[in-house]
Amino acid sequence: MNRILGIALISFLFSGCATTDGASSFTSASDTSGLKANEDRLWHEADIFDATIVRSGQIYNDRRATDYLQGVMDRLYPEFKGKIRVRLHDTTHLGAFALPNGSVYFNIGLLARMENEAQLATVLGHEAAHFIERHNFRQRVSVKNASTFAVSGIPFVSLAAFSSISGFSRDLEREADQRGYDRLIKSGYNPHESHKAFQILADEIKAVGGREPYFFSSHPKLIERIETYKELSAKHKNSGRVGTEEFNRIVQPIRLEVLRKDVGQDRFKSVILVMENEDMRRYYPIAGYYYLGEAYLRRNKADDAQKALQAFQTAAKLAPNFAPTYKSLGMHYMKAGNRGPALDNFNKYLSLAPDDAQDRPYVQQYVSSLK
Amino acid sequence: MMIKKISAVLVLVSALSACGPAPYWTLADDTSKSARSKSFEMIVPEGWNRTTVAEKFERHSIGGGAWFRNIPLERMTTSRDGWAIQAITATRRNLETAFPNIDKKATATMLPGEAADLYVADLRKSSGLERLKVLNNIPATVNNKPGFQLVMEYKNDDGLRIRIATHGFVDKTGFYTISYRAPVLYYYARDYADYAKLVRTFRQLNGA
Repeated sequence: MNRILGIALISFLFSGCATTDGASSFTSASDTSGLKANEDRLWHEADIFDATIVRSGQIYNDRRATDYLQGVMDRLYPEFKGKIRVRLHDTTHLGAFALPNGSVYFNIGLLARMENEAQLATVLGHEAAHFIERHNFRQRVSVKNASTFAVSGIPFVSLAAFSSISGFSRDLEREADQRGYDRLIKSGYNPHESHKAFQILADEIKAVGGREPYFFSSHPKLIERIETYKELSAKHKNSGRVGTEEFNRIVQPIRLEVLRKDVGQDRFKSVILVMENEDMRRYYPIAGYYYLGEAYLRRNKADDAQKALQAFQTAAKLAPNFAPTYKSLGMHYMKAGNRGPALDNFNKYLSLAPDDAQDRPYVQQYVSSLK
Repeated sequence: MMIKKISAVLVLVSALSACGPAPYWTLADDTSKSARSKSFEMIVPEGWNRTTVAEKFERHSIGGGAWFRNIPLERMTTSRDGWAIQAITATRRNLETAFPNIDKKATATMLPGEAADLYVADLRKSSGLERLKVLNNIPATVNNKPGFQLVMEYKNDDGLRIRIATHGFVDKTGFYTISYRAPVLYYYARDYADYAKLVRTFRQLNGA
């Protein structure tokens, strides 16, 4: 990665001057054929980027959810139907980005955190505005960075970095805010949900910290996003489409999958952030308590073992048929030397878990060792 | 002047003495099939190449940033057709730095299933392995010790499916793994028997 950034820097230093050549907004799907010379190359690199994402298995295959997101996008920008293509990106990091060719990637981690369709539409509207206003091209040209387009491998890294939420300059982000917001209003969504979408991202940065790939680039820019949307929505009534029910029906299974992936990648802070917050937790499946327990065990602070036990017990009570909970409870009792409860829970796991469950051989071994 | 020269010689001698023998690759045949490190040994299948000396450190980015730290370990690598195609690596990590990407320690009393879960989480934090899938995770005996056997898979940027099989165990001397990595296309199945044979010959040494 450092080598690539080094090449990018060198390329940047040696790049010549370039102008925007008066690049104006796209007005419709059919308006995207007359591209500037460098822009054409940028689109080509974006197409390669698309192909790589698909080839390397980074698409989250949920037809119903993908169609739903595409439907929201088409509602926001009907004149670009067929040109702006939304895909679910199989990563739990919170983010979304638009490529210069009209591809929009929405991370399942961010989708899982949203509460309703109006919040989703805010981010989609913002990202699509980056494409329609040709921000990727305009930003690159404005930093005289056009020659980097031609360096093999560079756009691959920089496309995502330039395109992620708040990855553009302040002026371009503001423009995307305004354009996206206008479409939100025009499409009948409640504008007072808009700033909340970005508040979710700000909360995550505060709680988790650290570096996140393809993440919004900086906290101050995000705060500005929130303030901008608050200012814009203050001029409108708190009414319009929110779309909570349908959104949550579609996103609910993805939320459990995101919790599973977060625990599997040791992103325990994110799980604890969500599941300890009553406002957020209510949108998550009850079995999420199991992942909260696992997250406490991974965090391993002084009282986390006890907190984990409570979370597992809550999961067992509220989602009694969710098998993994009983494996964790069994392990807790086994480690504490409580043979009876350990066996009871392991046996319950074995009765509920599918035959090909990955933990089954371990649990069978634990049962044998306890007998 | 004389003092300066003596100082320069001392610095040079000191610098050179800090370096161990540099590892290089050698073909495993009847006379050199044993790959031996301080704390473990294994028999490399005939026709494979192996490193002659164990690596002692691994560079790890701190918090994903530009700063790096050296994590101590012992690692020996073998490959039949070249490291980029397939490789078997045997590694011993210290308990304190057993899972460096997630900054977690191993303990000698850790259950094999717990070690396997942390090992996978640690791998998923590595670049390009976020979507690493676990195909199989079962208890296993390695070096006569209770351990785990994992089979995992991911796709690289070219869409090539890469499979990783790992046997591992933890004891008071460290976290041991023997990993085999190869493309599913042609190589993985072809060379798996050699890997399984190598795992059976793996044994700890007194230096552990």
